[in-house]
Amino acid sequence: MTSRQSIDWRLSSVRRWMSSACLLLAMGAGVGHGQALGQTHSAVQHATAADDSNGLINVQQSDLLQKQAAENWVSYNGDYSGTRHSRLTQISPANAGRLTAQWVFHPRVVSPLEVTPVVVAGIMFITSANDAYALDAKTGKVLWHHTRAVSPDLVGDAGQHHNRGVAILGTRIYMETDNAHLLCLDARSGHLIWETPFATGNRNYGATSAPLIVKDKVVVGVSGGDAGVRGFLAAFDAETGEEKWRFWTIPGPGEKGNESWPGDSYLHGGGTTWMPGTYDPELNTLYWGTGNPAPDYNGSVRPGDDLYTSCLLALDPDSGTLKWHFQFSPHDLYDYDAVQTPIVVDAKFKGQPRKLIVTANRNGFLYILDRTNGKFLFAKAFLSTQNWAKAIDENGRPISAGLIPTEKGVRVCPANGGATNWYSPSYDPATQMFYFRSFEACATIQSEPKPFEEGHAYYATGLRAADETGKAYINAFNLNTLDFSWRDLQIGRNKGWGGLMSTATGLIAYGDDADNFVVLDAHTGRPLWHFHVGQLIHASPMAYAINGKQYFAIAAGSDVFSFALP
Amino acid sequence: MWLRRAELLMLVGTLFFPGSASMSVLAQKSDTGPGAQRFMEYCAGCHGADGRGGDKAPSLVAPSNPARRSDSELFRIVHDGTRGGMPPFAQIGEANITAVLQYVRRLAGNAPETGAPADAAVTGDIDAGRTLYFGKAQCSNCHLMHGQGGFIARNLTNYGRGRVADVILEAITNPDNPLVPSSQLVIVTTNRGHKITGVLRNEDAFTLALQTEDGRFHLLARTDVTDVHYTERSLMPRDYSQRLTSSELNDIVSFLIVESRSSRPAEPAGR
Repeated sequence: MTSRQSIDWRLSSVRRWMSSACLLLAMGAGVGHGQALGQTHSAVQHATAADDSNGLINVQQSDLLQKQAAENWVSYNGDYSGTRHSRLTQISPANAGRLTAQWVFHPRVVSPLEVTPVVVAGIMFITSANDAYALDAKTGKVLWHHTRAVSPDLVGDAGQHHNRGVAILGTRIYMETDNAHLLCLDARSGHLIWETPFATGNRNYGATSAPLIVKDKVVVGVSGGDAGVRGFLAAFDAETGEEKWRFWTIPGPGEKGNESWPGDSYLHGGGTTWMPGTYDPELNTLYWGTGNPAPDYNGSVRPGDDLYTSCLLALDPDSGTLKWHFQFSPHDLYDYDAVQTPIVVDAKFKGQPRKLIVTANRNGFLYILDRTNGKFLFAKAFLSTQNWAKAIDENGRPISAGLIPTEKGVRVCPANGGATNWYSPSYDPATQMFYFRSFEACATIQSEPKPFEEGHAYYATGLRAADETGKAYINAFNLNTLDFSWRDLQIGRNKGWGGLMSTATGLIAYGDDADNFVVLDAHTGRPLWHFHVGQLIHASPMAYAINGKQYFAIAAGSDVFSFALP
Repeated sequence: MWLRRAELLMLVGTLFFPGSASMSVLAQKSDTGPGAQRFMEYCAGCHGADGRGGDKAPSLVAPSNPARRSDSELFRIVHDGTRGGMPPFAQIGEANITAVLQYVRRLAGNAPETGAPADAAVTGDIDAGRTLYFGKAQCSNCHLMHGQGGFIARNLTNYGRGRVADVILEAITNPDNPLVPSSQLVIVTTNRGHKITGVLRNEDAFTLALQTEDGRFHLLARTDVTDVHYTERSLMPRDYSQRLTSSELNDIVSFLIVESRSSRPAEPAGR
């Protein structure tokens, strides 16, 4: 045996031993997961406790079940509740003014980033179109890059190749591609483990969302609601990629609600599911909003309520069975997708502790529902110019003002872009305030009936009327008083698309209408700090920590920025 | 006895790389052939030092990119430039262009297409190759194949596509030539005296990202380390020509080639 062979033999022996040791370490990572809630350090960090920093990715169910994000931000919304409320406390109103940029990362992009980064054990995962990156969250340096060309000839939002990020479980991440394939990548290498096309039969399907892990399944939604697809939610086995269930949001022949969809119109009825939902583990219920009916502006071909478009769905995540639904905008004619995150809130409502869903809707009303049964509890208009509904009745159903889009057009408020939209709201259990961005504008909406055609949008309008100039606000709605505590008029030339988050020290972070990343005092709305990123912020922020140092990160334009105290 | 991870790594470093000399941290690229040098000189500015693309130019290592094109086509692109904006590089000479292209194929994991027709016959036993790959030869400990296997080394799902058997055999039995940066073993000594052996996923003048075989990323500042030793070897065992018979090696080679034919295109062409 030559000396080289001898070295090789010794190395391979020790490697085998190391592999065993690593396996044991990984198995040890499971210890104590049940205690993760409420602790400063999550299970992910326990996995690396043998050393003094992070870098080992092995996300357990207990990490996904953490209430309020801390060091790790494990999903699009940070936790299952969708509150986007971080427990981190290093950055406070007293020191926020000293925040400084830490790094900027510039992926290869083809359109403004809409991703919320996911951070685990100091590793940040982002997506840009069909590309995924793992970054050192401390420096923004690339650790791996999974690259894939964008798909040609897509219609609608997917044709702009927006992508909102990844889901993570164990050592794997999951993302959707623009052409609605679910990818499972090894989080340690970016290598493709499996790939499942999940929307076929209509090439107008696309995907822009981040998947959501629930137990052993990956739940995905689709986009293409303005292009005449049939919406659905689908769940895949996280291990194998095998489809486990599919809930069609447009009922087929013989199903309840199909009366709105004569002939084969159910195949083109919209009701897409293009934002991640939320989940209540105790009730074992998945909450997911659905988009507008198609065609958007011509209701004559879809009589009745158009179930289950513009709805909140409550589903059994194990079977995909519908538990209940609440329709915000029956027979919608104005493109009022129900896509703002339905936040899971445990709070007193009129003095009684309740399990609530709080969400603001594109239709201009803020809703509070009982999430155990979908019962309507409260609605409040947050748009002074709202004109499409005379009122909301005691069951939560709007009383239509009868505005029907015609060839000539009808002026509707809010505009088709919505009084709010997919940009994230936040809920702070300390202030008991629900924070969200709103937009006051009207639009003249025209209808020009056209048949569905693959490869084309299906708005059924000759023209999509431009929104009039409007005013944007950041709103703080108080769940105790059921009224607004403050509203902050946004100043800037852009119509902002920046979502919000809050922290345990009473901070709100968001992107404003003048390309600034801003931190506000959550109690008053008073600005504490800002940084001009120089690009339209079309995404929602998140926070994470590495070795006790807290960061905020936001995607802005074609870059991801990270901020921390000096 | 339970060793701390760092101690374990220190042990590994001490066992196999005794007395490793301190080396300059920047000028340590193992691949110093003319192709690599010319690539860094002429191509990296737009396509990135790792060929993964940038603002100005696309990735050259997306699995389908160079693989789809013949040598002559690639040569013409470099020689004459493209209408898409790539300038011509005729001035660097044909020898340099050829060297650069060989390097790009290596970065992307493609052998020259001319060597291996898509339907070239293989002489080994595919099933035996599969059994070896996932068993005795331990390839799958580190390499992914159609979603099965490890992560620390390159994904071999598409590896055999366009490669000739001799090239693959050479890569298995002589893995350190050429030494690919993504699998080069690097030993970092921290300020605390710990030695960490792994592969670099990123480095610059200020930071190092080293990945160890457990998958962990060690994200270090240069100020945290006292020494970075770039070894002349890769993660891949060097003794496959002793561990396996030539028949077994041929089975594995055949398996790699045939498996790559059943892999889906790396980039989706519509739905």
